Amino acid sequence: MIWSIAWRNVWRNKLRSLVMIAAIALGLFAGVFTMAFMQGAVDARIESATKTELAHLQVHAPEFLVNNDIALKIDNADEILGNIAALDSVVAASQRLIAEPFIMAAHGTGGGKLIGVVPEQEKKVTDIWEKIVDGAYLEHDSRMPPVVVGEKLAKRLRLKVGTRINVQMVDRHGNLSVKGYRVSGIYRTTNTSYDESTLFVKFKDLQAQLGMEENSAHEIAILLENGDEASAVKPSIQKVAGNYEVQTWKEISPEMSLLTDSMDQYMYVFILIILLALCFGIINTMLMAVLERVKEIGMLMAVGMNRRRIFFMIILESVLLTVSGGILGMLIGSVVTKFFETRPINLAMFAQGLEEYGFASQIYTSLRGETLITIGILVIITGVLSAVWPARKALKLNPAEATRTE
Amino acid sequence: MKIIEIKNLKKTYEDNSVPVHAVNGVDLSIEEGEFTAIVGPSGSGKTTLLNVVGGLDDATEGTVIIDGMEINTLSSRKLTDFRMFNIGFVFQAYNLIPVFTAKENVEFVMHLQGAKKAHREARSTELLKAVGLGEMMDRRPSKLSGGQQQRVAVARALASKPKFVLADEPTANLDSKSTENLLDIMEQLNKNENITFIFSTHDQRVVNKARRVVTLEDGKVKSDEKRE
Repeated sequence: MIWSIAWRNVWRNKLRSLVMIAAIALGLFAGVFTMAFMQGAVDARIESATKTELAHLQVHAPEFLVNNDIALKIDNADEILGNIAALDSVVAASQRLIAEPFIMAAHGTGGGKLIGVVPEQEKKVTDIWEKIVDGAYLEHDSRMPPVVVGEKLAKRLRLKVGTRINVQMVDRHGNLSVKGYRVSGIYRTTNTSYDESTLFVKFKDLQAQLGMEENSAHEIAILLENGDEASAVKPSIQKVAGNYEVQTWKEISPEMSLLTDSMDQYMYVFILIILLALCFGIINTMLMAVLERVKEIGMLMAVGMNRRRIFFMIILESVLLTVSGGILGMLIGSVVTKFFETRPINLAMFAQGLEEYGFASQIYTSLRGETLITIGILVIITGVLSAVWPARKALKLNPAEATRTE
Repeated sequence: MKIIEIKNLKKTYEDNSVPVHAVNGVDLSIEEGEFTAIVGPSGSGKTTLLNVVGGLDDATEGTVIIDGMEINTLSSRKLTDFRMFNIGFVFQAYNLIPVFTAKENVEFVMHLQGAKKAHREARSTELLKAVGLGEMMDRRPSKLSGGQQQRVAVARALASKPKFVLADEPTANLDSKSTENLLDIMEQLNKNENITFIFSTHDQRVVNKARRVVTLEDGKVKSDEKRE
């Protein structure tokens, strides 16, 4: 009966309750949608980082990522690659050679990261080949070795498909080596700084230029069925890799890990700010509800409703009011989010700025079940906390005076 | 059998730091089955006396013993429970729960007592029929007249099978027909079911029906008249 009286009391002043429910619903909708939007942006960034740049796990010689010394190599790369690829949770693996050359073109020069890949392997691990916007990937055969460059670098050095560039580096023996490559394709990712600095050539071409031995590589990139399992799969890969260093994408790129963790925290702070703002509205509504029912509360005390039950009744009213608005807001938020899960929100006007930071300009929303559950719990807590002051005010009433209040 | 025993009861308020002796040394006993009116001019202490006897307010001095229990010594929580099981209240302004129907209002106290649904339904129906509202049980207070609402309040007061009913100016907001009707109902309940009623009132019609009239003046019992 206390549930019944609490629920009916919520609807005693329909307009006031509806306004409050609408405010809560609007606030929660904004919160849910913003969380889904930001989560979508982060997910896309992570997907781009893992599918295009890092893969889920990488194997290197110890200290390679710190020094970028070409002498720090994986010796029996073919064997290790084969063993890794045979693991159940591994979808594909690709070996790479990496150098940091000086690039010379007719209209400019610059540094960059040159990655030598085996195209058939690399296509199974990363999706750069799908991001070619002009020309072709590395399968193209010509007299001069092919190179794939990013669109940003191509613009800066005024490169086109077919343009020749000279790549200068120090080889394994310490000799200066200059080799000509012809641009076979231009790619475009959602990360312009990556596009400006990363070039791809065939493994064997870079192997020849660096003077690397057969069966050696600087990096083995590994794609898993589920990227979230990277940490769990790492030990089994470490077993195969022996003394070489195995790292997950979060370890290789801690800023990416920080992005996901901090984004979650920012979003919950954002939701808390929304709920805090709503809290004042709920306190006001509940305070009015208590003050206009002083006589009735006095009567309830007189006929035997103890203070614990009165406190519970008022808390319940507040929770029912808040949860009604919360459910409505989360429902609308979920429906709108669902809509934008398959239809991207186009932020083309901010594309340049977003892509500078590696974010896509087309964002698909992403809402997790646990996010909704957490918001639901926060809504209930808000309802309870908002009612504490009005409920305490009710408890301080003297039934003798309250029953005679005009 | 004495149901209420009041000994040297005093209640003093502070009004702008000036002590006001609302009840100033009342000694009174109420027997089971009495139909008592407490009368007196405004400020004579009628309502304060009823509030203290009903456990809604603390006494400054003296004792109130109800059915052998000295209620001044009870904690707030025990006093609330004591009121729920022993005292029925009828207020001047009815004080029904507006979101409940007449039947639910009557059932509410029984629900607080932990009574089973079947018992609550049977008793509330029986009481509402007894006060002549058998056809209006599912109406909310806003759909009832003042007299009808006060009859619901009487039914509610009786729902918990209290030892006595305290009614603070129950007819003050009623027209003469409703007053007559209500008084007849309470008189019948008193005579037929031996329910003890104690009223505070200014209303001569209530005084005329009462079989005992206690007159207060300046917080003291001025006269105590028993009628046959």
